[in-house]
Amino acid sequence: MASFLQYLVYGLQLGSVYALLALGYTMVYGIVGMINTAHGDFLMIGALGTYFIAKLFDSVSIDGTYPMLAVGCIILIAMVMTGGIAVGVEAIAYRPLRNKPRMIALITAVGVSMFLTNFPRALPFIGPNPRPFPTLFTPKTFTVLGASITSTQIIMIILAAVTMLALDRLVAKTKMGAQMRAVSMDKDAASLMGINIDKVISITFFIGGALAAVSGICYASVYPQVEVYMGSWLGNMSFVSAVLGGIGDIRGAMLGGFILGIAQIFATAINSTFGYAVGFIILIVILLVKPAGIMGKVTIEKV
Amino acid sequence: MSMLEVKDLHVSYGAINAVKGISFEVQQGETVALIGSNGAGKSTTLRTISGLEKAKSGSIIFQGQELTKLKPYQIVELGIAHVPEGRRVFSRMSVKENLLMGANIIKDRSKIKRDIERVYEIFPRLHERMNQQAGTLSGGEQQMLSLGRALMTSGSLLMLDEPSMGLAPILVEEIFNIIRRISEDGTSILLIEQNAFLALNTSSRAYVLETGNIIMQGKSSDLLADERIKEAYLGA
Repeated sequence: MASFLQYLVYGLQLGSVYALLALGYTMVYGIVGMINTAHGDFLMIGALGTYFIAKLFDSVSIDGTYPMLAVGCIILIAMVMTGGIAVGVEAIAYRPLRNKPRMIALITAVGVSMFLTNFPRALPFIGPNPRPFPTLFTPKTFTVLGASITSTQIIMIILAAVTMLALDRLVAKTKMGAQMRAVSMDKDAASLMGINIDKVISITFFIGGALAAVSGICYASVYPQVEVYMGSWLGNMSFVSAVLGGIGDIRGAMLGGFILGIAQIFATAINSTFGYAVGFIILIVILLVKPAGIMGKVTIEKV
Repeated sequence: MSMLEVKDLHVSYGAINAVKGISFEVQQGETVALIGSNGAGKSTTLRTISGLEKAKSGSIIFQGQELTKLKPYQIVELGIAHVPEGRRVFSRMSVKENLLMGANIIKDRSKIKRDIERVYEIFPRLHERMNQQAGTLSGGEQQMLSLGRALMTSGSLLMLDEPSMGLAPILVEEIFNIIRRISEDGTSILLIEQNAFLALNTSSRAYVLETGNIIMQGKSSDLLADERIKEAYLGA
């Protein structure tokens, strides 16, 4: 029982990383209609960026721990920076191809992903070597029913849940959200309503990038090593999460992320290699059984 | 002074020239029809005025402003409302949400409220179905919604692309009665129709398009009586 609970906590923790990343993945797909395979690299940029940003705050740290205010600033700067890079990527690489066939955007995204991984790798001050991630949160450990839970884990899981709720409300209730939904359904018609679609898409990429940064910080807080390749595996897993939940659906991305995180931790407990395979097994099964995903709806439209 | 003036407009899709140097104008308060068969370049012309397609050359001047370099959302803000071909309602939004999307550029909340009441008054059917998903409406209701949504933008020029397409005759009648009413309220209208008889009966002036060129123009009543028009478009 105690170990079951322990695994569940680990699963939720990993799931919250996937979920935060999948939210951006799914929003970009929902609104722009493209699979941004470079989305995982935004996570890497966020995590690696945090390493360097934290260095700037070294003078205020005491024995390697930062005051709360500094941690807040570090996270905020990392979010804005990653969001900004995501907006730049869209404007430079994706926007000129928006009206081209989808395959062209997909291939471009693969190229962007390679660039985002290898460009920092080639920069002398970054390079390919892994670096230790700074301790932003000093974990306090609680024991609940024999399972140990850290404050970092609790923060991560709550953060993911709150973010999802906030995004869900943003899309359902605000004017910006209505514009996003309009763009996702019909870009021409949205333009004719006076919606600036470039702006709506930029905002979508900004939110996706900022959430990827948070996801990267969460991941690196638990597995405290950052390097330029860390985005690809996590990006793949968040893609599986988004498809599992129903790509384009915000709640689906969240649900998919948590299911995958939990499944992976339990599978790893059985056999560590199996843990790597389970994500792809889930992807194959969902594509065979319910291709629209758990929350995906088959829409009926009259013409 | 004309409200909308299109001069020597060329539009092409890759190697295909869809519009080959057409010129026409719409005066304040007028209803003008563009008629012609499928593929004549009518929809392309409207889409280019709205900024959805890029003009290869030529100019489009609306109330003294050149439109060809502007983005679609800027053109909407200048006051051009466009009911696109195939209705294009937001299918997974309710009727009311669709109408509110039409009011996207309107800041004044009390105006939005008044406008929505006016649309419900013009289309009682939309009022009955305001909470229904737009994708589940019938074709005629979707056309009403698309028209109502365009009215919500409060444009001074309304462009209509094939409002009769795919509708039962009785609904076509209803939609065109409403178009006449909107015109009487002072809105200028640029109407595209394959149904030439209907278009000529609704408009004061008309242009006939054939494979990207304007081949005839004049008062709608004159065109209705013209032998060539009768033969080619009115099936007489």
